[in-house]
Amino acid sequence: MSKPILQISNLTKTFGNLVAVNDVSLNIQEEEIVGLIGPNGAGKTTLFNAITGLYKPDSGQALFKGTDVIGLLPHKICRLGMSRTFQVTQAFNNMTVEDAVRVGAYNRCSEKEVQAQVDEMLAFFDLAKVREQMCSDLGLALLRRVELARAMATQPELLLLDEAGAGLTAVELDELMDMLRRLNQERHVTLCVVEHVMRMVMGLCARIFVLDSGELIAQGQPAQISDNPKVIEAYLGKRALR
Amino acid sequence: MKPKKLSVGMVSLLVGLAVALVVPLIIGSNQYNMVLVTTVLLYGVMATAWNVIGGMAGQMDLAAGAYLGLGAFTVGTLLIKWNISPWIGMILGGLVATGFAALVGYPLFRFGVTEVWYALSSSALVEVLRVLFLLWEDVGGPVEKYLPFHKWSLYHLRFSSYVPYYYIMLGLLLIALYANHRIARSKLGYYLLALGENEDAAEVLGVDARACKIKALMIYAFIVGVTGGVYACLYGFIHPNFFDGLQSTEVAILGIVGGMGITYGPLVAAILLVSGREFLRSNLSGQLESLYLAVYAAVLIVIALFKPRGIATLLQDAYKQILSRIQRDKNVQADTTNF
Repeated sequence: MSKPILQISNLTKTFGNLVAVNDVSLNIQEEEIVGLIGPNGAGKTTLFNAITGLYKPDSGQALFKGTDVIGLLPHKICRLGMSRTFQVTQAFNNMTVEDAVRVGAYNRCSEKEVQAQVDEMLAFFDLAKVREQMCSDLGLALLRRVELARAMATQPELLLLDEAGAGLTAVELDELMDMLRRLNQERHVTLCVVEHVMRMVMGLCARIFVLDSGELIAQGQPAQISDNPKVIEAYLGKRALR
Repeated sequence: MKPKKLSVGMVSLLVGLAVALVVPLIIGSNQYNMVLVTTVLLYGVMATAWNVIGGMAGQMDLAAGAYLGLGAFTVGTLLIKWNISPWIGMILGGLVATGFAALVGYPLFRFGVTEVWYALSSSALVEVLRVLFLLWEDVGGPVEKYLPFHKWSLYHLRFSSYVPYYYIMLGLLLIALYANHRIARSKLGYYLLALGENEDAAEVLGVDARACKIKALMIYAFIVGVTGGVYACLYGFIHPNFFDGLQSTEVAILGIVGGMGITYGPLVAAILLVSGREFLRSNLSGQLESLYLAVYAAVLIVIALFKPRGIATLLQDAYKQILSRIQRDKNVQADTTNF
């Protein structure tokens, strides 16, 4: 039976008067792929930042495998087994692809084991050919893959992907979805994807959460979500419902 | 590919070392020249140590003078008051500097002080120490405190020639280079580089930013602190002006101009720029006081404009070109044999 890997309850994060995430509660089960969608400014990235230690939420809890990760430093959360990628790629520009992946690999590997882990990740994400290249010389699609490889090298159980598909061509998107499916099936990694590209969300996710103005307005299977009046209203406005 | 790279590094290191070893034999009779080359090495050591915190971790540290001064005062005070050998004093001086680095580093990194704010705080540190030591008359005070005179004593590290100091400084330089080399190929080194590139991204990959930066700062402070001990013996006195803000800034400049995060970069910069500056100073100051600084600044600006990643990248590019040329020649040969 699947059990929850991440349980977020009553999480709230404000910036001044703006309530970016408002009392959100949601559960993610082990080894599932879930999507987190919502219009721009809905609070998806803020939610990610709050549970990976980059922001300190005002209130709420986030139990990762039973441990509350709120208030922990980012590297401790990574140690526990949760890693992420960024919406705007955060590359290590003056490092080679191999070295960038090595930074992640050190999370669980000793000096002796680290090279094997790096090689494995470079092979899995098909990056072996560019291993010597500087990250600053890579295009967007490759950079996103390096970020994935970097995050996966930390050997997480839960991986949060912040708009990994944005700006990719159709072919690149298919490759990415393929890789993510393989991560999920072969390596039993739980995935949570924030995404605007609907093809990716609908094709990949078993369950979807919808955020709007910081609040969780719907959750369920893809088909239920696309018919949900609240979701349509959030994206297209009230008139679209008539 | 990998072992070849290492051997090129080893060869250039050995050639450099051989040249450095015979330098005193050639110019050793001229004490002024010996002070110059020793000064070049001194800056080389400090800039190489700076590379750990500044070049790798990207913390713009301007407090080299603080650690240098602490090392110098530890050695000087122990020697003057209790006749304790500078060899012991050096290690203690390094430890004092390291302890001080941990003390100031903890709050700075705890509250995530970076970039300009870190530069300003570390720079202020030097000035604060200078004033404190000026007021603390037992140890510092406004009058120079002279180390006991010895014509030639290894125990007191006092010599009437600069040659022994030169070799000690060369030894420190080798230690600093080796430490750099080892760190750059270890977990700490990769973590520091990642922090220097992008702190948020590094942290979510499991990098403990505070712990790594404190370690880097302590390693840097230790090396500079030990160097400070030799510095005191070299000049034969201690004075609060050893806490020198300008000198601290210059160490950072050498680290940046040499090539951030490149092991031998700061050393190359120290050799070229410090000796160049001293050459200009001795040749130009006759006509126009401090004209040398204008020329020196112009050189820095040119480097910053055309080689923003450092002088060391010039060497890297040249090496790559030679490699690709060799490769091309090989290919041509292979083609002709095929026909």
